Amino acid sequence: MIEIRGIAKSFDGLNVVRDASFVARDGEITGLIGPNGAGKTTLFRLIGTVLRPDRGATLIDGIDSQRDQLAARHRLGVLPDVRGLYPRLTAREHIRYFGELHAIPRAELDARITELTVALRMEDFIDRRTHGFSRGQQMKVALARALVHRPHNIMLDEPTNGLDVTTSRAVRDLLRGLRDEGRCILLTSHIMQEVTVLADRIVVLAGGTIVMEGTPAELRRVTGLADLEEIFLAATSGHEPSEAAWAAGD
Amino acid sequence: MRAIISVFRKEMRDHLRDKRSIIVAMIYPLMGPLLLGLMFFFVGGSMRVNEDAPLIVPVMNPQNAPDIVHYLQQHGAILRNVRGNPQTIVAGGWVPFALILPATPEIDPEKPLPVQLLTNPSRFDSIVATGRVVELLNTYQRETVRARLQQAGLSPNLTDVLQIDQQNIGRAAGPSVILLTMIPPFLIFTLFTGGVHVTLDSTSGERERGSFEPLMMNPVTRAQVLTGKIGASMVFTLMALGVQIFAFWIMLHIVPRESLGLNEPLSALRLGAVASICLPIVVLAAALQLLISAATRSMKEAQTYLGLLPLVPGLAGMVLALAPVQAQPLLAAIPTFGQTLLMGQMVRAEAVNWLLVGITAAATLITTGLLLALGFRLYEREGILFPQG
Repeated sequence: MIEIRGIAKSFDGLNVVRDASFVARDGEITGLIGPNGAGKTTLFRLIGTVLRPDRGATLIDGIDSQRDQLAARHRLGVLPDVRGLYPRLTAREHIRYFGELHAIPRAELDARITELTVALRMEDFIDRRTHGFSRGQQMKVALARALVHRPHNIMLDEPTNGLDVTTSRAVRDLLRGLRDEGRCILLTSHIMQEVTVLADRIVVLAGGTIVMEGTPAELRRVTGLADLEEIFLAATSGHEPSEAAWAAGD
Repeated sequence: MRAIISVFRKEMRDHLRDKRSIIVAMIYPLMGPLLLGLMFFFVGGSMRVNEDAPLIVPVMNPQNAPDIVHYLQQHGAILRNVRGNPQTIVAGGWVPFALILPATPEIDPEKPLPVQLLTNPSRFDSIVATGRVVELLNTYQRETVRARLQQAGLSPNLTDVLQIDQQNIGRAAGPSVILLTMIPPFLIFTLFTGGVHVTLDSTSGERERGSFEPLMMNPVTRAQVLTGKIGASMVFTLMALGVQIFAFWIMLHIVPRESLGLNEPLSALRLGAVASICLPIVVLAAALQLLISAATRSMKEAQTYLGLLPLVPGLAGMVLALAPVQAQPLLAAIPTFGQTLLMGQMVRAEAVNWLLVGITAAATLITTGLLLALGFRLYEREGILFPQG
């Protein structure tokens, strides 16, 4: 479970995230949505422990990530929007590298890599260097290395960004499978349709604050609107981008 | 420790597959020995004094000083008449020098004979040939004076004030040995370039590719990651150093000893000792590279500064090669400068003060420790993980 408590972050006097609180529960897919510059990437990095909040706390399975950063990271698997692969390493070497950093014993790691290769259908390119990989192949490698240590909490930033229909569907099926195992999934996406299809709970972020939170049914009931896109527009209208000045592409 | 080893192994695997890292570590270090070898062949060869080669003496007005001409010929010199303007001919490098004898025949034996020697010291062959003819003319003068003193009933040694016994106890048998003192600057240059691409690519490059962020979401500290990366960079620097030392050793054995100007060649052991003196610089270079990559916003910017970095200690070494300075504790305590001084002493076969070796190593390691601490601190900044937009 990922619990965000009154978290705030500013850069050069610019409040990018302001007093944000929400919970991403186990056995659920939580969709974090927001317009460009809403603070999603910053919030994502705060939960991923690569940024420190000015105020508030992030609890990963009850572990305060600021107090015990390494223990929190053990419980997290992260797929950033920028996949950040090493072009001279093979897909297998990528997964092995992250597995080693999680101190997974060699035999167990070998078995886990085989398991992920089959699950993500990477047999054709598992021993190829990642230089020249398609976006779908890159995403699979990045996802495999994020999952190598069987994290209980999985965060995905734009997981289907740039993927074709078939691969997007495969990713969605995989995420549902992970949720059904009781894991906590937190994903961000620009694509409203994807969030609608996948998310059990939606958190809307605008201007660095949480402006709406609930299941799709709850959001429809509260707003009186049927279409999630309309709900999103109603929730975020009038909020200025908080992040644009610091980080692009959010 | 396990995390450090994992990062180290990943960087080694990654960069052993990288052409640029391999070229910088394995090919660039060959340039110094190759360049120096060519200099020894061409410069050292022309500076070599070959007593067996006939001395060609371009001369004007030989008919006016038959005694000198006879003496020179008696001592193996072959005289060639200079035609045209001797200044133009010597300055143009057509002849290494020109001996201008008096325009009128010698008449008064009590007056010194005006002899002019036109030389061109900008050419190495001119320096050597001029040296030989000057030595012959001086000997002629000395012998003539002795003969005249004897004729006057005086001791032939009357004009000898000193009896100079010059012995060469150094490694050098010729002036070209000065080129050997360029070995330390080449080594220093290699120490600052050997692992530079590895450091740059695994720090600034990693940030620019966006792979630093996912890496740091693993349960590892930044210090562990950086230590693994620096370790890989140092291995590449050591590889470059090893390649260069081996290439220098081969060069010193291929180039003829007369061209080297050495009484005995530098042994592999001595070359190894020279290399071991600069080992602390391996860590220093990695620390400086890390610091620059941390202080710059992009790989391009870091590349600019890192390209200039080796020039600072390298140029100091070049100056030392041409104007050697006596090693003192204060100078030895300057990182890279101290090593250059001591390595220079070693290649010139001078006695090395081991206390100074210790001071140099300690000063370099302390400086390195401070730079590493600063570099690690800079890498704790939040923004350093993300590409700068």
